[in-house]
Amino acid sequence: MSTRGRFILATLCGLVLAGIVHIVTVRAIPYFAQGDAFSRARSSESLDHPLRIHSLAVAGAPAAAEAWLPIPDPAVAVGVCAYDLDDGPMRVSARTGALTLSIAVHSRKGAFYAVTDQAAVRGSLDLVIMTRGQYDEALASENENEVNRDVRIVANEREGYAVVRVIAALPSQSAMANDAVDAVSCSIDAPDEPTDANTKPGG
Amino acid sequence: MNALTRMMTGARAERPAPAGGTTLQERGARIGGVLGGFLRRTSRTGFVLYALALGAVLGLASADFATRGGYPFGGTTIGAWTAWPKTGSTDADPYSRAVNARRGEIPLAIGEGLLLTAATDNDGRTLDAGCTYAIGGVVPPARAWTLTIAGRGAADPAATPLREGFTSTEILRGDDDRFVITIGRDVQSGNWLPMPRPKGPVRLALRLYDTPVAASVGSLDRNTLPAITRLGCSR
Repeated sequence: MSTRGRFILATLCGLVLAGIVHIVTVRAIPYFAQGDAFSRARSSESLDHPLRIHSLAVAGAPAAAEAWLPIPDPAVAVGVCAYDLDDGPMRVSARTGALTLSIAVHSRKGAFYAVTDQAAVRGSLDLVIMTRGQYDEALASENENEVNRDVRIVANEREGYAVVRVIAALPSQSAMANDAVDAVSCSIDAPDEPTDANTKPGG
Repeated sequence: MNALTRMMTGARAERPAPAGGTTLQERGARIGGVLGGFLRRTSRTGFVLYALALGAVLGLASADFATRGGYPFGGTTIGAWTAWPKTGSTDADPYSRAVNARRGEIPLAIGEGLLLTAATDNDGRTLDAGCTYAIGGVVPPARAWTLTIAGRGAADPAATPLREGFTSTEILRGDDDRFVITIGRDVQSGNWLPMPRPKGPVRLALRLYDTPVAASVGSLDRNTLPAITRLGCSR
């Protein structure tokens, strides 16, 4: 093969390789990113309430240190609760108030469930995020005579985070919106009962 | 990687500097001759390294370019506005996911709301901080919405923003339930949204919360979204 032919062949190989590298890199970025919401939300795992990541300014009060959203909505207070279903099902409970509240459940791949306070039953919204194994277990141990108002969501991935958003329609509601985010509770459900999530392959 | 960089810098060093005063043809012939000589001397390993280096550099650079800044695609354009219904869902395209990861963004889920952005006015001209705009009309059905303005890039920390946006509750409406928001540098009566920066392009974000249209963006058209009209420019 002539030198020019080899050069063209090498260039073509390089371009094909560039395409492969491009696709692999774009797909790998979410798994290696350190500044993404998934990684940063991990610090809220030990809390029993959402970590407020976007607080609304209340009469000159300084913004929270944990603020990384690039272009946040200035009228919406945002909090995150990270979960690891190996510790047990995650319960997110919210009391509805005057302000619009929404809860979205994200895995690494994106949001797979979202609910607003309009779905609340008698002023309370209870979400339980669980693996398939934990869900089956909950169904099996359920008491038929007991009314259960939990919204049960089966997560495909073990780790993720729940996002709580509260809208302050007026600036005077900012403090209320911040408090409403903190008032949501994120707890591990029934920690006294050992779950067999670890033993089941694929959860 | 060391070998690759050495190879690349070596290749760059071998390229001759064009001599001044020669004609284009002579210069081309000279470059061709030197390049040909370089290629003839290069062994098969050299070509393999060249291909690898080309692949790595082009691949990484294009991946960085595609995931820097905003979402490269995946939006639905409706007039001046672009709706981004899928950026937060599990079936988001890999580019949106990478952009979210790099920016640390938590996008709105479909059940939560819908984000619409606009970088141009209704006539297709880029939104400029030196101009005055009127945004008015109707907004798709939603329990609440906010309209915010931001410049591209990081905000100036020295500037104290007067107001970054309006919520659906704050807005002053006319008799027919329609509204007009005026965006400009000078104080206006009614719903005035100050320009966030003295010059350069700006963009608008309309966030609809708890809206049925998030699941059916196809039902939106120009007449159901606020119109962005340029009123005049100071320059």
